Amino acid sequence: MCGIAGLIHTDVASQDLPDIIAGMLDRISHRGPDGLGTVIGDDWALGTARLAIIDPKDGIQPMTDAGGRFWLAYNGEIYNYRELRSELEAHGVVFHTQCDTEVLLAAWLHWGAECLPRLNGGFAFALYDRRDRRLVLARDRFGKRPLFHARHGSTLLFASEMKAFLAVPGFVFAQDPGQLASILGVWTPLPAQSGFTGISALPMGEWMSVDAGGRMERHAYAPLRFADGPAPASEAEAMALIRQRLEHSVRLRLRSDVEVGVYLSGGIDSAIVARLTTDISGRPPATFSVTFDDASLDESTEQQAVASALGTRHHALRITGAHIAEACPQAVYHAEMPAFRSAFIPMFLLSRLTRDNGIKVILSGEGADEAFLGYDLFKETLLRGAWDGMDEDTRRQRIARLYPHLGHYGPQEVAALTGLYQQFSTERMPGLFSHELRFQNGRFSARLLKDKADPFAAIAALVADNDGLKGLSPVERAQWLEYKTLLPGYLLSTQGDRPALAHGVENRCPFLDQGVIDAASRINLHFDDGYDEKRLLRRAFADDLPASVVNKRKFPYRAPDADAFAAARPDYLELVQSETELAKLPFVDTAFARRLSTKVLKSPAGEISTKENQTFLFLLSITLLHRFFVSRDGVPGHSNSRPRPPVMRAVDLRGQP
Amino acid sequence: MDKIRAFIEEQFLVEFDDDDFPEDSNLFKEGVMDSFGYVQLCRFLEREFAITFTEAEMTGNVLVSLTQIRDTVAAKLKRNG
Repeated sequence: MCGIAGLIHTDVASQDLPDIIAGMLDRISHRGPDGLGTVIGDDWALGTARLAIIDPKDGIQPMTDAGGRFWLAYNGEIYNYRELRSELEAHGVVFHTQCDTEVLLAAWLHWGAECLPRLNGGFAFALYDRRDRRLVLARDRFGKRPLFHARHGSTLLFASEMKAFLAVPGFVFAQDPGQLASILGVWTPLPAQSGFTGISALPMGEWMSVDAGGRMERHAYAPLRFADGPAPASEAEAMALIRQRLEHSVRLRLRSDVEVGVYLSGGIDSAIVARLTTDISGRPPATFSVTFDDASLDESTEQQAVASALGTRHHALRITGAHIAEACPQAVYHAEMPAFRSAFIPMFLLSRLTRDNGIKVILSGEGADEAFLGYDLFKETLLRGAWDGMDEDTRRQRIARLYPHLGHYGPQEVAALTGLYQQFSTERMPGLFSHELRFQNGRFSARLLKDKADPFAAIAALVADNDGLKGLSPVERAQWLEYKTLLPGYLLSTQGDRPALAHGVENRCPFLDQGVIDAASRINLHFDDGYDEKRLLRRAFADDLPASVVNKRKFPYRAPDADAFAAARPDYLELVQSETELAKLPFVDTAFARRLSTKVLKSPAGEISTKENQTFLFLLSITLLHRFFVSRDGVPGHSNSRPRPPVMRAVDLRGQP
Repeated sequence: MDKIRAFIEEQFLVEFDDDDFPEDSNLFKEGVMDSFGYVQLCRFLEREFAITFTEAEMTGNVLVSLTQIRDTVAAKLKRNG
């Protein structure tokens, strides 16, 4: 795993380029503490901060071809690199290292952009062609690894994390109220959004080129697909298929020259990953979990059950509200994105524990709920879609099977919930039916902004422009939206890649493998009505895991939210309480923001609704991002005692043809 | 009945206003109502006025604006009275 950064077509004096690229990499060196590498030309530079996982000795970057024309800075892993290497060798390609970086470079030289659909992995890379002065940026199909780009005068900047741009002379960050409205409404950024004016994320499954004239072209190479193959003939076949695909996926993700650990959440998905890891590698892995004092959040019983059953070396990190309040600013700085809940903060602390135990790579269960319909959102979509044709008894039975973890979904509330669903049984927002109820919370959060423009205009346009959505069922559309918003925009980024890489830990997700998703799509809703979530996935591993975990219902991972801040009262709460501080963000509706903060920080926790909690977290993270990126006031974690990674390669091509 | 207005204003952080946010505004369409808030509102009405709502009543779109809520509660109280 690594961080990459660079700039092309710049009019900066070439003698300044070494300092600029070094500064950019320094800002993201938490991603790659094992060594820095740079290459510098007359009007371009790129580099890598590397976390060495595969072929630590020879995989030094940036890597070039035999003729020195192409320069590659690469972040991530291509899990099927051995198969690709064999294929390329059959075409006569000769390799000099055992590293997947060299395979990627050779694959691009051999197949061009046609190589991208062949790659199974989480990656983002920059490839510069010196001869044609052309840059290619590309990103994996699910958005596991980040890549941002921005224009700065004539210069095009790119980096794994936007904080690299803090090191570019004259670069100014400004929060974009239009993007913020969409983020508040949808809960997460859309695939190309960054939250900042002039900075774009390269969407998942896309590559782009910038030619010598600065012309930019974007190409989608991996549109999200749900398999159209036949359903397995029986439940037994379906379960065998699930096992076979997951085993293959875990096996690929255990390819590493360093030890691989597992994050155990207490749920079935990560338990399956831990089980398969144990079986495939022949010994139990090190496992890591967060636990909470609050029993309504804690899953330590199930985590312990899995760890004991497999005999893992288990490490649990007890998280209190005080820990959350203390780590919040740093975690937000690393996330770079407004966040709607606090659950990413414990993951920031967990990766530190993981690193301190000598583990650089971990597997997790992320992606299972999207593939196997684990979320209540999917059941809710089924129920609302069929609502008008149902009788009272059926409606009551279905409601009773929704959101078992939510207090306000109890049987005593059936009348109220009936009234609610009655209001949401027909589509009001074209293409967004599945998410309309969720978006009500987003509408509330969007009231943080002065400008009351439609927060859903951007996502409505994204959906309307996508022809691939037309043939999908309502539940598949809901999945598509999850794969384009909450999964990449929060779970894989703010709660995944960013907090893990903040401490140099690489996260891998076996459920985010096209083969696994294809299998799930062929099975979902063919053998049951979907209300007993992930039924066949759980049954497929029922004999291999503790029954308490197999039979446990979906329990969303959450952490103490606003109550943690209300109790700890950290100094930075003035950002959301003081009129003077709030006035620094001209796009915020100060009166609403203060009213919300006062209510959230002064009311008993039980009286604070989900929408208020999430709006408070949004407000707090937006003000912290303003402090760190816009005001540049006390950027955390930069001038601390962390040693600068050693320079492993510094290539100077300035003045050379 | 002013308690209902006060509850909604506090629960959803809104202020009714004849011009910008009249009492007959549809609270769902205005994006004010979420699932938790709706259940809280129903609980509040049942407790405050010692009434209960049935599922059949709730499919009649009764509780979508402050005006409708007031009328519904008043009608139920009259029937009960």
